[in-house]
Amino acid sequence: MILFLGLAVGIAAHVVYFGLHRPYDPGTLDGQLAWMKSELQLSDEQFQRIRELHEASSPRLRSLASQVAQMQSEFAAFENTRRNSDKVDFIEFAQFVEVRRNISRQCLDSTRRLVMAAAGEMTPEQRRQYFGIVSAAAPEASPLTN
Amino acid sequence: MAGVMRAARPTLPRTAMSLPPDPLDRLLERWDEPGRESPDLSPEVWRRINQDARKPRGVTAWWAEIDAWLTRPPFAALFVACCALLGLFLAEVRVNHQQREQSALLARSYLQLIDPLLKADAAAKAP
Repeated sequence: MILFLGLAVGIAAHVVYFGLHRPYDPGTLDGQLAWMKSELQLSDEQFQRIRELHEASSPRLRSLASQVAQMQSEFAAFENTRRNSDKVDFIEFAQFVEVRRNISRQCLDSTRRLVMAAAGEMTPEQRRQYFGIVSAAAPEASPLTN
Repeated sequence: MAGVMRAARPTLPRTAMSLPPDPLDRLLERWDEPGRESPDLSPEVWRRINQDARKPRGVTAWWAEIDAWLTRPPFAALFVACCALLGLFLAEVRVNHQQREQSALLARSYLQLIDPLLKADAAAKAP
């Protein structure tokens, strides 16, 4: 009887504690920011300002992401046409490259602005850690912190 | 017996002038021979030997021992508290393990959130 009671209490304690300290959900902005708060030990004020910065830039970043995705699908269609018809419209391709380069530059600028603005709310130690996280996650992706 | 005790008593050289009388001497002089052994002693010894021989051995004895301990309220409460602490400890280990595993994933997700180029690349690579 006592054995079962102990077992039940142990399991209940485990489940409740695990439920209260559930790992952050990587699929949502809330989960990512909560993880960042814990990782960088941000204060509530810092967290609030950084959250506002991310929420403010989120629509533009989403719009740019959809433009990039559209450019990728256009490029795939362009490449498909070139393979099938063996013809290349160099003027169209040059325009495409120019637009893509322009969007990429906007993406980089937006991201860099957001990273710098968020870093501006942090202490030097937090900033150093934040840049470490950002560059360690994508060393070859983009020179965000340069 | 008293004689044996007296004989076994260490004799230290001492003089009446230098040391006070030892109180142990008085106690030893009052020592009596033990009375005759009780007539119940032998049956009682055999009863206990038989009782001990009838006790369960091995795993059963072990369980019986645990059961006997757990019937005492202080030990039962201690056991339940230990179970709760163990549950909490294991939950903490599990949370730490999962957080370590998800840390890299969260960093990548965060970067995809703030960098549309990475997000598009990840979406393109996704099956």
